[in-house]
Parts: sequence; structure tokens; C-alpha cells
Amino acid sequence: MEEKLIAFIREEFLTDPSQDITPDTKLLSSGLVDSFSLVSLQAFIEKEFGKRIPAPRITVQSFDTVRQMVRVIGQF
Amino acid sequence: MVTLGFFIVLVVTVLVYWLLPRSPVRTGFLTLASLGWIAANDPLSAAVVLALAAYAYFMGNLIAARRTPLVHRLGVGGILAVLAFFKFAGLLDAAVADIGRFAGALPEFHLSHLLLPLGISYITFKYISYLTDIHWKLIAPGKFIDVLCYGSLFTIFAAGPIERYERFGPQLREAAPEFLVAYLDEGLYRIAFGLFKKLVIADWIGYFIDPVWRSPASYDPAIRLLALAGYSIQIYTDFAGYSDIAIGSSRCFGLTIMENFDWPYVQPNISMFWRHWHISLSDWLRDYVFFPLSRVSQRRVWLLGAVPLIAMGLCGLWHGTAWHFILWGLWHGAGIAALQWWRAFLRAHPGVRVVPTGWWTRTASALLTFTFVTAGWLWFRG
Repeated sequence: MEEKLIAFIREEFLTDPSQDITPDTKLLSSGLVDSFSLVSLQAFIEKEFGKRIPAPRITVQSFDTVRQMVRVIGQF
Repeated sequence: MVTLGFFIVLVVTVLVYWLLPRSPVRTGFLTLASLGWIAANDPLSAAVVLALAAYAYFMGNLIAARRTPLVHRLGVGGILAVLAFFKFAGLLDAAVADIGRFAGALPEFHLSHLLLPLGISYITFKYISYLTDIHWKLIAPGKFIDVLCYGSLFTIFAAGPIERYERFGPQLREAAPEFLVAYLDEGLYRIAFGLFKKLVIADWIGYFIDPVWRSPASYDPAIRLLALAGYSIQIYTDFAGYSDIAIGSSRCFGLTIMENFDWPYVQPNISMFWRHWHISLSDWLRDYVFFPLSRVSQRRVWLLGAVPLIAMGLCGLWHGTAWHFILWGLWHGAGIAALQWWRAFLRAHPGVRVVPTGWWTRTASALLTFTFVTAGWLWFRG
């Protein structure tokens, strides 16, 4: 799951695709990923993993790193 | 909110609150005190919050029992109808008066006599999030007294923050049983900080810039620009000051209310600005408008253009039913859309060289964002 999320984020969100991302890279709080772009991440998670994550769970506090994303996805 | 009456009510309520045994007696008292304060300021508003709390409580339980989108839409639609009625009552006034005159025998009735209830925008948004979070299975329906306290808490009633029930409800149930000096310490410090922002910075800036705004033609362009920048600082310190007072006052009851501002004027772009300005409103719009709207279509023009414009246009309308507020919202929507398109362009063209990130580019970005936001206040002030 982590690899798929990292690949999607690198492809869809980063203006510099060569940038290194680890499961603990801060994406939202660092500004690497725009919070308004997260709708496509929500759609990707629903399509790829069959989980619909409600918007209030997609926050800087709970969705900042890929590791946190995996944890939240596991709750639904 | 910054009145002697507010602070007298706050001191008396805090004293009695901590003398009472723990919840739910304390919650009941806090709710009654809040309703009393609201009724003293605006009896219509007290009636509206009572009715909306009863409606939200009933619909919340119905949504949890049925779990159908239709029941959720009915619940949210009812609250939106109340908001729309009060927001647009004034605009319908002329039409209703004309019909009244046409009917002749009917007594003339002015809808605008139903003044906009205090805090209506905040109450309705809180209860919409309450119903939607139940529908999304993020929270369970609360007890009536908790739901009423959530909508009426006098410290955050008139100007927010738009707290979520998910954070607020459990605090009422799991409220600290003992009084801690730290609550007063933190609360009073925050109130003092808010008063400083509001009374010292915002009001003093207002003292200097208000004459320029009243008759701009009498002043040089440079002075007018300074007055615009001054207004930018004034509106921030005024609103952030209110939020500090609201958060600090709530803290005196041991309650933790979400932050509303976090250095918005040093952010590098308009998207980051909205993540740090009126956070409770921008989070609300993101969760309950932006995300649901984005699911309507995956077309690029919809996602990157229409959704930011619609969401921010509604943000403007929420501030007031006047064109200048809508234009202010659209200004920000256009800024967000432009940023989204620019980022999409950079992703599609990895060969395009951008200026390397450094302290001076970050400073320039923050200045550019501040200038964009400040220009937007021209629309907002009308």
C-alpha cells in the first residue's frame, strides 16, 4: 500500500518527480502537497483500495505522511 | 463580544460552573447560562438555536438509525433552508411588500423585521457538520443537552471558531472533574492577548485609517495604499483577537477549542494562506463543500477551475448577502484555481525551469500572497 501511495503522490502532486519521498516524509505541513489537491488522493484510495475516507480524516494532523495515510485507511 | 456584560457573565459563570458537581450538571448550567446570554442580546437567536438544536438532535438520531443519503440530505437541507431564509429575508422584503400592497386587504408585512439572528451562520455550519459527521460514521449522535451546548456555548457563539462536535462532545462527557488553576492561567493569558490584538492594535489602526476609507479622494494614492495595507492588518488582528478571547474564555471552563489563525500573512501561496486564515471556516468549506463538489466530476476544468470558484464564492456569500462579499470570495477562488493550474502545468512540463527555493523566494512569495490577499480586502470592505 505504501509503495502505491508514494508512486501516486510522486506522479500526481510533485512538481519535481525526482524528489525523494519516504513513508515519513511530511507532505502537507511542508507544502509539498496542496491540501486542495487531496481530492484526487481520496478518489485514488477509493478506487485502488475500496475505502472511502471522509474529508475530516484527511487533515494535516492525520494525513501528513504516507505512514499516517496507511493507518487512517486501515480504520475504514 | 468584547463588552463589559460579556466579561461579567464569564466571571460569574466560571465561578458557579466549578462550584457545581461534575457533568452533566455543569453542562446543563453552562447551556442555560449561554441561552440566557444569547436571549439577553437577541431573543430571536435564542429561539433559533433551541429549535435548530432540537432539529439536529432529532435528525442526527434518524440519520444514525436509517443511514440513507436521503435522510442526511433532508437533515442538511432543513438547516440550509433556515440559513437561506434569514440571509435572504431582507432581499425578499420589497417583493413581499409589493404583494401586500397588491392584495390591498392584507396588512403590510416586512420580512426584514425578522432581523438576522446573532450567530446564525455559525450555528447552522456547526449543525451541518454534526449531521454530516454522523452520516459519515465519524461520530455517534450526542445527548440533547450536549447538542444544545454545542450550538449555544456563549464563548464561541457570535464569532466562532466553528468547532466540530467530534472534538467538542467528548469534552463535555469527559470533562475534568477538578478545577485546575492552569485553566484560568491559560484562559486569562489568551484573553489578555486577544484584548491586546483587538483594542490596542486593531482599534488603533482603525483610528488612523478610517478617515482615509471614509473619503479616499482627499488623500494621495500612497496614503490610500497604506490605508489598504493597514486594513489588512486591522481585520486580521481584530478577528484573531476575537478568536483568542473566545478560545481563552472557553479554556476557563476547561474546554479546548480549535485554533482559528496561525500566521496567515507569512504563507507562501494562497492555498497555504487559507490553511492558516479562519482555519475553522476553511476546514469546514474544504470538508463539506470542496470535497463533495470535487466528486461530481473528474474533469480538469471542473476540479481545478469551477470547484475553487464555487467553494470560495459560497465562502463570500456566507460572510454576507451582498455582491462585494461574493466578489471577494471569487477573487480568492480565482487565486486558488490559478495556483492549481500552475502546479498542473509544472507537473505536465517537468523540463520547465522554476526559480530555486531559498529564503528570498519564500519571502517574495509571502509578500506576493499578502499583496493578493490585501487587494482582495478592497472587495470585502465594499
